[in-house]
Amino acid sequence: MSVLDKNIEVSDQNFDYNKEDALNALKKEFGQQYSSSKSVREQHTDTTTIHTSKLPDGVVFAENEGDVKRTIEICNQYKCPIIPFGVGSSLEGHVNALYGGVSIDLNNMNKILNVSPEDSFAVVQPGVTREQLNTYLRDTGLFFPIDPGANASLGGMSATNASGTNAVRYGTMKDNVISLRVVMPNGEIVKTANKAKKSAAGYDLTRLMVGSEGTLGIITEITLKLYGIPEVIAGGRVTFSSIRDATEAVIMVIQSGIPVARIELLDEEQVKACNAYSKLDLPEEPLLLLEFHGSESSVKEQSELFSEIATDFGGSNFEWTSNNEQRNKLWKARHDAYYATKSSKPDLEYIATDVCVPISRLSECIMETQEDLKKYNLYGHIVGHVGDGNFHVQLMVNPKDKNEINVLNTFLDRLSKRAINMDGTCTGEHGIGQGKKQYLIDELGSSVNFMKRIKSTLDPNNIMNPGKVF
Amino acid sequence: MKKNNDWLDHSYDTNNIKSCITKIKEQFGQQFSDSQSIREQHTHTMTIHKSELPDGVLFADTKDDVAKAVKICNQYGCPIIPFAVGSSFEGHLNAPFGGLSIDINNMNKIIEVYHEDLSVVVQPGVTREDLNTHLRDTGLFFPIDPGANASLGGMASTRASGTNAVRYGTMKDNVISIEAVMANGEIIKTSNRAKKSSAGYDLTRLMVGSEGTLGIITEITLKLHGIPEKIAGGRVSFPNVKDAADAVIMTIQSGIPVARIELLDKNQVKSCNNYSKLDLPEEPMLLVEFHGSESSVKEQSELFGEIASDNSGKDYIWTADNDERNKLWKARHDAYWANMSFRPGTEMYATDVCVPISKLSECIVETIEDLEKNNIVGPLAGHAGDGNFHVSLMIDTNKKEELSKLDPFLDRLSERAIRMEGTCTGEHGIGQGKRKYMYKELGNTVDFMKDIKKAFDPNLIMNPGKLFL
Repeated sequence: MSVLDKNIEVSDQNFDYNKEDALNALKKEFGQQYSSSKSVREQHTDTTTIHTSKLPDGVVFAENEGDVKRTIEICNQYKCPIIPFGVGSSLEGHVNALYGGVSIDLNNMNKILNVSPEDSFAVVQPGVTREQLNTYLRDTGLFFPIDPGANASLGGMSATNASGTNAVRYGTMKDNVISLRVVMPNGEIVKTANKAKKSAAGYDLTRLMVGSEGTLGIITEITLKLYGIPEVIAGGRVTFSSIRDATEAVIMVIQSGIPVARIELLDEEQVKACNAYSKLDLPEEPLLLLEFHGSESSVKEQSELFSEIATDFGGSNFEWTSNNEQRNKLWKARHDAYYATKSSKPDLEYIATDVCVPISRLSECIMETQEDLKKYNLYGHIVGHVGDGNFHVQLMVNPKDKNEINVLNTFLDRLSKRAINMDGTCTGEHGIGQGKKQYLIDELGSSVNFMKRIKSTLDPNNIMNPGKVF
Repeated sequence: MKKNNDWLDHSYDTNNIKSCITKIKEQFGQQFSDSQSIREQHTHTMTIHKSELPDGVLFADTKDDVAKAVKICNQYGCPIIPFAVGSSFEGHLNAPFGGLSIDINNMNKIIEVYHEDLSVVVQPGVTREDLNTHLRDTGLFFPIDPGANASLGGMASTRASGTNAVRYGTMKDNVISIEAVMANGEIIKTSNRAKKSSAGYDLTRLMVGSEGTLGIITEITLKLHGIPEKIAGGRVSFPNVKDAADAVIMTIQSGIPVARIELLDKNQVKSCNNYSKLDLPEEPMLLVEFHGSESSVKEQSELFGEIASDNSGKDYIWTADNDERNKLWKARHDAYWANMSFRPGTEMYATDVCVPISKLSECIVETIEDLEKNNIVGPLAGHAGDGNFHVSLMIDTNKKEELSKLDPFLDRLSERAIRMEGTCTGEHGIGQGKRKYMYKELGNTVDFMKDIKKAFDPNLIMNPGKLFL
């Protein structure tokens, strides 16, 4: 029996909204800020997944919160789907217009509104990208750490609860968003919290909006935590003879309380691809890459402690450096991993997925996944934020080969279920989007009923990014 | 603006509540009590709010007990108030509409410690000291320390924190997953045990801090941390609050991973001098704690010393010896007891606010002026690294004119914090006492909170009369 309560409906209905009236109203309201040209619409769908791209019927380029509010009000009136769009770097079909409707492009809302060095926070508009923010902060001695790889927009990163390589030290978006301004589905504008570092006042709507994937409202302003740029950054690299040895070293590092800033695992196949692409000659064995932040003496201590742990678990060829150029060389394999995978099969398409498990189950989960890749004859590399128990499989597939896509779906299905069975999650950082809706139910059962209750009470017309999450 | 006040008209039918209590009694036998003394023990006495007794108390042994009781209460529209140790400060456990108090103290099992994952699964009645005693031999600990030996269920429900939140965060940062009985009796699990997840809405963080108004927590998965190799402590005085607060700001900015950084105002120091027989300079004081390796705590302590002296700090001392550190920190450890005896014959009313740290000294200075101007005794101590501070108001409740000064003072304090872009409560919660500030602080956002409340608990049975006016 399904755990889902049929009485709580977030409809996957066909939106038979009055397209012509809705789009005319938007066109009239926004003039030059509105476009329905094919090429613009094509730019506003997701193309990084195996899901078929579906175009929105029109695109509004919002300049400010007032534009967002008016767009939502018009859409709510005509029950027209609305899909928020930043840079389009999400990986689970979040920005696809499954039921048509309007894509609202937030890239022009890219102002950094306020930086308070004393409070270590910044207030930004959602279209600001993380690199833009860090460039802006360069002279302040502060930085925003969360780094999902892509130069994503901070609105999109909030909406998907993004994280990345340094979450092990600095947390995820949920840990780094202090407050949000959001236009809700009825057009009301809310502020989820004031700017104090902590609060015990009422429900945590900040964390409810973070990770809600545009299904509850559109983020128009974000207050983010900043951190002091570390005095010294050291990097290290070490090879292990097995995934198990590598992950056991990771567990020991975390337990010892070494405040490691990044700890990344590359599996044998990933290392092979990186050797070929970046012209390296790393041993083709599981590789750990580390980064330490702190004072000169602290990073030295951390590196040395790590080296002892690595040796205890059979690590070999440990190298570390606190010189920036040397560190970039050590880390080259990781920096180029995406390109290495992509260029190793130039005629195929790149698909990325992620799961996250309790760290005690990590090696088991990775090894079973490697066996699956072999069993199904799929081409894929594994790279992971292993301090969090989180890893990615980067697959190269032929989307035109129906058989291969079927096999891929079986593989992805088994991967999510494997993670869930190990008390983990079907996604540590990419989000549910279109691709993982069934696994959300597998993972959290009747909790999903309560998520749907929130969705249907806050967005009764289901206009906000429909067809995602549920 | 949408006004979401229709539930003010909601009334709880006393006959239905009576029938419900009878039914609960039938179903639970010895686990139920409606004796006056038991009911009195289950209301809140740490506030100026009058005790409001429940009609009966259920001692739940399992989550199935909780689910069964909640289903019955939901059927009759009978209020439910979850109860653990009763150490909350804002009247969270009062029963303004009567109903059933569900005592979860017997649900006190530590279900499993996952050493490798640095996590633990506990029942809600486990207290933080129980947990840390249990963990003693593992090299791990649970850091969050609100002062009282609170239950972990209560701490999760009020989003508690305390002195070391500056390093380890609050309950919202340390709860991985929650199992809860919702108002319809369904048991949900908000998340699996992975360290991070992007799967669906963050119901974990929604339940943390919801003060028993959305469901009853029956199991909690918590993050654990490695016991630091070394703990160092320090103490330093400043000529004024501004200098002390500036030193705090600079410490945080420099990225010193300070584990505790507590500010005591001169009245608090005076109170501590009296009680603990110390002769500290009666000036604002900072107490600090550093966690790390031998060399790291040394480095942190010395760096902090430089920052303190740059900001006119005097008489800085630090130590990595445990006994010495306890001596240095004695003033802070005894602050609660010191205040209780600071003005004999009075009752303590504790309150807290939290502001962006750049506003901390301004907020504290204005608050001290306010206390002086109105002749109210209220030593002030703060978790300054978070911009959070407490005022311990010592009130002679027999004197009407003294009592009458309390509410206006609290109003001004909360409004001051809100004006400075802060919150009317950093860690105590809203409960009954701060409901009136919610709209001031968050405006129409509160309407959306009420929407969620109604979507989860349409009969408004879960801890009614808290959070929202």
